[in-house]
Amino acid sequence: MRDACFFGALIVYFAATALQMIGVALRRRKAVSAAEKVFVAGLALHTIYSVWRGVEAGRLPLANQFEFASGFGWACAVLGVFLHARMKQDWVLTVSAPAAFLVTSYAAFQPMEIKELMPALRSTWFGLHIGSAAFSYAAFAIAGGLGVYYLFKLSKGEDPASHAMRQADYMAYRMICLGFLLLTVVILSGAIWAEQAWSSWWSWDPKETWALITWIIYAIYLHQRLRMNWQGKRMAILAIISLISVLFTFAGVNILLPGLHSYA
Amino acid sequence: MKKMFAFLRSMTFGMILLCGVLLCSFAGSMIPQQQTAMHYVNLYGERPAMAILALGLDDVFSQPYFIALMAALCLNLLLCSVLRVRSLRGASERLRRRALEAKAVPISAEQAQALHAHFTGRRWRQAQEDGRTVFSAHMIGHYGSFLTHLSLLMLLVVGGLVLAGAEVIDRTVMPGSFIELDDGARVSVQDFRIEDETGRLDFMSTVQITAPDGRQSAWTPIRVNEPLRFGAYKVYQQTYGTAGSVRVTNEATGGSEAVALTEPVFLTLDGVNGVFFQMLYAGYIQDAEGNFTLIGSTDGEYDDPVYDVRVIAEGETTAVLAFPGDELSVGGVRFAFEAPVAYPGLRIKRQSGVLLGALYASFVLITAALYVCFFLRPVCVAVGDEGYALASPKQQMGLQLEIEGVLGVSVKEGEKR
Repeated sequence: MRDACFFGALIVYFAATALQMIGVALRRRKAVSAAEKVFVAGLALHTIYSVWRGVEAGRLPLANQFEFASGFGWACAVLGVFLHARMKQDWVLTVSAPAAFLVTSYAAFQPMEIKELMPALRSTWFGLHIGSAAFSYAAFAIAGGLGVYYLFKLSKGEDPASHAMRQADYMAYRMICLGFLLLTVVILSGAIWAEQAWSSWWSWDPKETWALITWIIYAIYLHQRLRMNWQGKRMAILAIISLISVLFTFAGVNILLPGLHSYA
Repeated sequence: MKKMFAFLRSMTFGMILLCGVLLCSFAGSMIPQQQTAMHYVNLYGERPAMAILALGLDDVFSQPYFIALMAALCLNLLLCSVLRVRSLRGASERLRRRALEAKAVPISAEQAQALHAHFTGRRWRQAQEDGRTVFSAHMIGHYGSFLTHLSLLMLLVVGGLVLAGAEVIDRTVMPGSFIELDDGARVSVQDFRIEDETGRLDFMSTVQITAPDGRQSAWTPIRVNEPLRFGAYKVYQQTYGTAGSVRVTNEATGGSEAVALTEPVFLTLDGVNGVFFQMLYAGYIQDAEGNFTLIGSTDGEYDDPVYDVRVIAEGETTAVLAFPGDELSVGGVRFAFEAPVAYPGLRIKRQSGVLLGALYASFVLITAALYVCFFLRPVCVAVGDEGYALASPKQQMGLQLEIEGVLGVSVKEGEKR
């Protein structure tokens, strides 16, 4: 029953994505507003699943690759619903629904059993460190998705000076600001935690190093945006390239570069 | 010289340095670090391995070029921060003047009223000047970039000092005994266990620190994530091991002592006759003819422990397998073999408290500075009959779009996709 909630959420995310795409492509308002409701329902199911799993495990459900991926997908949905509620723009769902669906799909391929928390993870920093990482990655994923959306619209002849394009470009930047702040929290809380657990603040573990690489790439993005006044197409491309680094830190490092974070 | 200075403080130089750190980090994560030359030869072949070793890519993060990169980054941040200080003086006033002097975007009286109501509703500070209302917000944001760069500089410098300045000692200590450090401090271990009361894996030692001046900490349980901090010392539960345990009793005096067996050792009273401990095995297989095959421990478990010992008596050496509960009497000493005991591997770290405080301060500062930098962007909007003008040192597309929304311009249903 618990896992049914997860797969239910996954199917509902897919339905929201499909409805949104159909609605946008065929300009059907009914489909778009239905997508919005379906997406919120998916988030509700996903939330129920996460709470249920957390209660059953007796801890935050963020301890392994499945749980983190599920949390990452959930964070994409939370940000998407929040932004949509604030901005009332259809492109928010066009980006966040597929992001939530894809990330949650990745989670579905990971081992799902609940395991006891290993001693190294029993820390007060667990929630802050990993929770911030989930929301940071989600913000970057939405920014990267907005980059893809921007380039797609541009290729279809959309005017970059239009309100919707400027807003999409700007929101990508704001999402990166949020993600960057949270990634900083992830790195700093991770350093404090590592010092408590292993006595070393920084040990150039592959996960740490790739978090730093991602941080530097986004620092370059922000400097180009704020100081060099880059906007539009170049920023969209940079947001997509930066997202590759996030995805490698999230999944690639675990598969290719084992280290202290191998359980993640 | 001026050009050189300008380059050193430039963002271009900062970006070049960040790219350098990025490349080094990439290499350092992809190439296994601090391995033997043969490891690289086996992994990549002879020529690539030679190139890796020649470029120092086997230990990137301690190479002089990487340290130089970090030092140059600190210099760039320092110059960047110092120069920003000058520009911060009077920044709020300048911004207000910019808003007043900027060319106003014409709006109707109704729209001006709507803007007025909007910014008043957002509780922005307002002042009347030149017949216009100047709304301003987030003036602390002027310090955002400066504080971010300064805190990053602080983090790099203090972090470097903390990493370089920590004195770390790894030692194993038997429960019931202690170790003494070079400076006279003492770390005592009362007990050690691998599982908690519920049977859950939980490595825990109960330790006490005695400082060189005699001050003592309380007996405190330590486990992963919960080290004991006392003065400049911190004791971590790092690893664990299993040792053989034998109680030796002097048959003449009756005096006895428990001895932990962690490595081969000759236990003797007279120096000639005694028991030579070779190794502790985790288990054994006994075939039909009574022959033993001994099994080493691969997972730290010792389910059927066996002591492999040599009994040396009157010039003769005999191989003996002893099990917990067995007793041997050799050379006036009785050896009673007991169940193996688990013991902790501790890490003891000595670190300056001042540096640690500065490091934590830099953590807090950089987080707060980034928040101020990204989310409290200073802005002034002058609203009058002739229109409105917006001024900010940072991109204000969000505010611009917000104003357009309030004014009801540019937002068309057709653009909502």
